[in-house]
Amino acid sequence: MAEASAANTQLLVRDLTVRFPTTRGTVQALNGVTFDLARGASLGIVGESGSGKSVTAKTLMNLLPRTAEVSGDVIFEGEDVRRLAREGREHFWGVKMTMVFQDPMTSLNPVKKCGEQIAETLRYHLKRDKKTALAEAEDLLAQVGIPEPGKRVDQYPHELSGGLRQRVVIAMALACEPSLLIADEPTTAVDVTVQKHLLDLLDKLREDRGMSMILITHDLGVARGRCDEIAVMYAGRLVERSAPETLFSDSRHPYTDALLRSIPRIDQPSHTRLEPIPGRPPELINPPEQCAYAPRCRFAQPDCLESIPDISGVAGMHEFACFHPANTDRGREALAGNLAQGRTAAGLEISGAGASS
Amino acid sequence: MAGSGHAPLREDLEVLLTVRDLEVEFPVGKGAVVHAVSGISFDVAEGETLGIVGESGCGKSTVAKSIIRLNDIKGGAVDYQGNDLARLEGEELRQLRPDLQMIFQDPISSLNPRRKIRQVISEGLAVWGDEKGSWSQSRIEELMLSVGIDPKFGERRPHQFSGGQCQRIGIARALALDPKVLICDEPVSALDVSVQAQVLNLLEDMKKRYGLTLLFISHDLSVVKNVSDRIIVMYLGKACEIGNANELYENPRHPYTRALLAAIPEPAPTVDVSEGDISGELPSPINPPAGCRFNTRCSHATDVCFTDEPEMQRVGDSDHYLACHHPVAVSINGQQAV
Repeated sequence: MAEASAANTQLLVRDLTVRFPTTRGTVQALNGVTFDLARGASLGIVGESGSGKSVTAKTLMNLLPRTAEVSGDVIFEGEDVRRLAREGREHFWGVKMTMVFQDPMTSLNPVKKCGEQIAETLRYHLKRDKKTALAEAEDLLAQVGIPEPGKRVDQYPHELSGGLRQRVVIAMALACEPSLLIADEPTTAVDVTVQKHLLDLLDKLREDRGMSMILITHDLGVARGRCDEIAVMYAGRLVERSAPETLFSDSRHPYTDALLRSIPRIDQPSHTRLEPIPGRPPELINPPEQCAYAPRCRFAQPDCLESIPDISGVAGMHEFACFHPANTDRGREALAGNLAQGRTAAGLEISGAGASS
Repeated sequence: MAGSGHAPLREDLEVLLTVRDLEVEFPVGKGAVVHAVSGISFDVAEGETLGIVGESGCGKSTVAKSIIRLNDIKGGAVDYQGNDLARLEGEELRQLRPDLQMIFQDPISSLNPRRKIRQVISEGLAVWGDEKGSWSQSRIEELMLSVGIDPKFGERRPHQFSGGQCQRIGIARALALDPKVLICDEPVSALDVSVQAQVLNLLEDMKKRYGLTLLFISHDLSVVKNVSDRIIVMYLGKACEIGNANELYENPRHPYTRALLAAIPEPAPTVDVSEGDISGELPSPINPPAGCRFNTRCSHATDVCFTDEPEMQRVGDSDHYLACHHPVAVSINGQQAV
């Protein structure tokens, strides 16, 4: 299977681990993250603050601070990205692999015209002369659906609305025709109607250019509609990975299951009682050697507190890291046992309300 | 006046707060003004949760802040128990302040970082006193317990708490003076989804326990539906549609309401996804369009929309009001109204 898909695999991430030394101890930001991305595919990485989704993106983009201790492999189109030679790296990030950030205002230079900022990329990486680069910049603005691109090239970021600014950032990311675009919460700062336009645009660009995309978002709904595959992160680990529909209808990891239940849904009548996830995300400094979700998990059993479950399952189909997965007999048994005792192995008190199917 | 009119105001209920033709303008220099809120009328019944939705710049926060006079009101009235909050000044206004409390979007920056949380929660009581000028530690502890913060952490400062906990502290502070109305301005948008549900449930519990009336502002349509009895959809300083929460989402008539419901990642079943593709940008509130303010982006707009402002009118005989010349006829697959 690995052989057959190797040619079609664009990005291979193996056992990516990131540590940040701090005065309070070492933050285990990323723990053995492993995934593949097929050419032209889109992967959604979802998770809450501190789950490691942005650290994953920054590691791929080589944007981590120098103090970060990184191990593991990132293989992009057969090339070991983390060991690129100096000349190779200069024209790798920003050319083959680019990124769009959350806040378009702070990712644009406020004292430079939009056109110049896009042209800068073209001049630096592709050695275009000033005039050609500006003309191409205008063309890029048109491609990302900015009305009156000729006028916009001469405007400063503050003269544009949030949605247009994010389009400028996207144009900039696309300037050198990347084969992988990493979008880190690209629509979190904008309104829903603008969000729809931007996501539609990213879909279209991806299709037109055969580009792959990693879409990082905290919004499961966004990932569901826009990605071929979704990876759920918790406490610096991938805990579940599958096609969106499987994830939504047949989630295995209790965290995914709980997350889906905690979100208010538009098709529920008003005042439907929500099922929050008890507790809070774990500390990433010196975490105990146990499943990171166990203290909040309704399914937790003694074995969850003894070792960390590896992510397993059918690669490319449905993988999850759990000893007692939800929506399985094993999980139902664990939950029934916990409900009968009124508490989980981790000591969390639970009651019958909101029992998992 | 467009998107205004008094049709949505109710008389048969125990109305606690009535906002009539509220107008708020902010000068932006050279004689220009931002028309933040232009003639909105609505009421809130006692014990009800009123949701206000709309995109950034629609004036939803301004409406909320006007009610507690955090900004100047240009015109209109805010009737609260026989007092016009828009006119009151000085001591008279001050005396009503404990009744209307607010919680804010960013839970961390809305707490003074240098204070211990016990001080944060008790400041209102220190000013007003609790039952004839005195207040007790037990009152503070009761408040902390009711929002789910262990009283033994009272000596900690805000940075030692997570965002969700800070929002709980903000809620405890707002409840300290036993308010009647709690204004929640995007109270969960800075929180992760797992914590969001905790805070939303807490608000529902507090509402029951303390008999609160809630004004809940959010840009998240699912969240608003979950907490609200009645919802106002705002656009560019005007109300587009007002109605019972379930009815409004099952039977959205205003093209803008429908656009919002279609644009969210998992669109409502009552609208077509293509309705979410509203074109263009939000017009400037300095020089809003004449006629219906949504006319520049509305696919249903005709000549009349550019000249006449639509008046709020009742839809059928349900609790549903609409300001539109060309309301969208709805084909609903069954009335599952609850």
